[in-house]
Amino acid sequence: MTDTSAVLIRPRLTDYYGVSQPQSKLNFAIPFFAEDSPLYVDPFLLWKSPSQQDQALHTSVINSFNHLNHLLKRGKSTEARDILVLASECEEIGLGHSRTKKGIRIGPSKAAEILALFNDIPEYSKNGFRHFEEIQLYVADISKDRVSDLCCSFIKSFLIDYTLQECQELGIPVEQTTVKSLYSYRDNRFLLNQQLVLPVNPITKAPIILVPKRWLRFNPWISYDEYFKDYCPRDEIFKPGEPEDHVKVLTYNRDHYGVVQSYVATKIRTQADCHNDPLFAQIPVLSAKRRLQSLQQLPTGKENNADRHYEDHLVTLLASLLYPDLDFAAEQSRTVSGTLIRDLIFYNNRSIDFLQEIYQDYDSRQLVFELKNVAKVDGGHINQLNRYLETGFGRFGVVVTRNRLPQAMFRNTIDLWSGQRRCVIALADEDLNLMVNLFESRQRPPIDVVKKKYLEFRRACPS
Amino acid sequence: MKREDVDRFEKLVGQLSGIYDEMSVLSKKSPSDATNMFKLRFINTLLAQSNDLLSEHYKPFKDFTEFNIDDVPQNSDVVLILSQYLQCFEKLRADNVTVKLGQWYWAVKADKHEQGAEKGFVYLKTVMPKRLRE
Repeated sequence: MTDTSAVLIRPRLTDYYGVSQPQSKLNFAIPFFAEDSPLYVDPFLLWKSPSQQDQALHTSVINSFNHLNHLLKRGKSTEARDILVLASECEEIGLGHSRTKKGIRIGPSKAAEILALFNDIPEYSKNGFRHFEEIQLYVADISKDRVSDLCCSFIKSFLIDYTLQECQELGIPVEQTTVKSLYSYRDNRFLLNQQLVLPVNPITKAPIILVPKRWLRFNPWISYDEYFKDYCPRDEIFKPGEPEDHVKVLTYNRDHYGVVQSYVATKIRTQADCHNDPLFAQIPVLSAKRRLQSLQQLPTGKENNADRHYEDHLVTLLASLLYPDLDFAAEQSRTVSGTLIRDLIFYNNRSIDFLQEIYQDYDSRQLVFELKNVAKVDGGHINQLNRYLETGFGRFGVVVTRNRLPQAMFRNTIDLWSGQRRCVIALADEDLNLMVNLFESRQRPPIDVVKKKYLEFRRACPS
Repeated sequence: MKREDVDRFEKLVGQLSGIYDEMSVLSKKSPSDATNMFKLRFINTLLAQSNDLLSEHYKPFKDFTEFNIDDVPQNSDVVLILSQYLQCFEKLRADNVTVKLGQWYWAVKADKHEQGAEKGFVYLKTVMPKRLRE
């Protein structure tokens, strides 16, 4: 484990344990300690995967889900309901939109409502589900995170093995911890409070389970929202002028199994278009150029909120320009002496030699880019950033501003290096211009411009 | 200049002119775009050979030897430097050619007992120096 005294903004599993791989190079979605990732496991991606392993996992999810039907038929409805309630939340995975990483299971009545589908719809009673995410189309409040959690709960055992394998490869420490519920495929039931070895959240000691990126989407391929928007026969369900109540659609679906099946058949037919979603998507080149253009046309200072616009453009622009060499962590606002300061934080993945040097020589596990829409950076601005670096960001910072540093300010930064071995470099509009050119032409990675500025700075430092 | 220097000269100038032409096209299209590392590595190899042949006397700039890849040189920078080198090569040629009966020749030092040598020089056909006023 690396030195944990330094504060990490939006800490992730890998950065905390000193693993330097960027997200783009890893197979799994790097979990955050404090919040969920806004992506979901889509069971359809497992089903359509060419990998036999993924297909087999999908089969085991479906078998486990359809086993509930078997329990119902044998009169064990309470057991079926309890299994469904336990399966409905999988907080070790850390996917969804929770800010606290604490999910809530479904209640017994909601579970009973789902299980009722096996009794109410003869086709499910007889043949079971082929794509269990169809439950979204019959039961209210079954959202994409619930589908994802149900899927993960039934294959949690596999995911634990996967997590251990990845941790071993990357050197992420694991420790004894308690997994509250673990589905046993052999017994078709949940084992409670299992003592297992897994990576844990260093503060809460909660276990963490990793999920392959290839299963993740923002929305499931079979989704209620899409069905409601594009496929549901509204003129048949609602009278003219009647408010479009979702519950009415769900009730209609229960009575019209064929309509739902034709939607699912369409989705199966168009499966070639179903891909996993990237965890971060760069903006298109055209958009980057437009943003740069608008940014360069802005006046300096605060007139007409120019500073806000400048900062807004830079957030999107820099996050895209520096990807995949630097993963964007967060945009921060803080107030110093009555002035609002905005900065961007990136995880230092040490993916290139320059970033490795920054990590080693300046202890920078995260990089701070402070945004200043001013015509001339002054000593106050440099000192502000310098003081902020002292709060645990190492000794390397970047000021993003409109013009090159005046000679006196450049000397100021050199003095800072001479006295305290701190490195503050400045990126001006002309550098952003070059970065966008590189982003467009792909001749070199845009981060080379930051490296260039750093080397110019180092050459000017006394040896 | 020796015979092998003329060989090196002609090879290098041919290569530099080729790259200069290619880079000029790129530079006209996007002068402020960076030259990629692949090109830069070969350009630097040629510049190192050129520095060796030109020596301090003919080198275009005392404090320039090659491009620093980390400085992210732009297409227009590369074109500027290559054009300077080509000019200096031309100056080297102009200083080592002579005209005989309207035809221009390299005057290169003859090897021992080389046939056709005149006063210790052998003459190899070339073209008129580009900048020479007639």
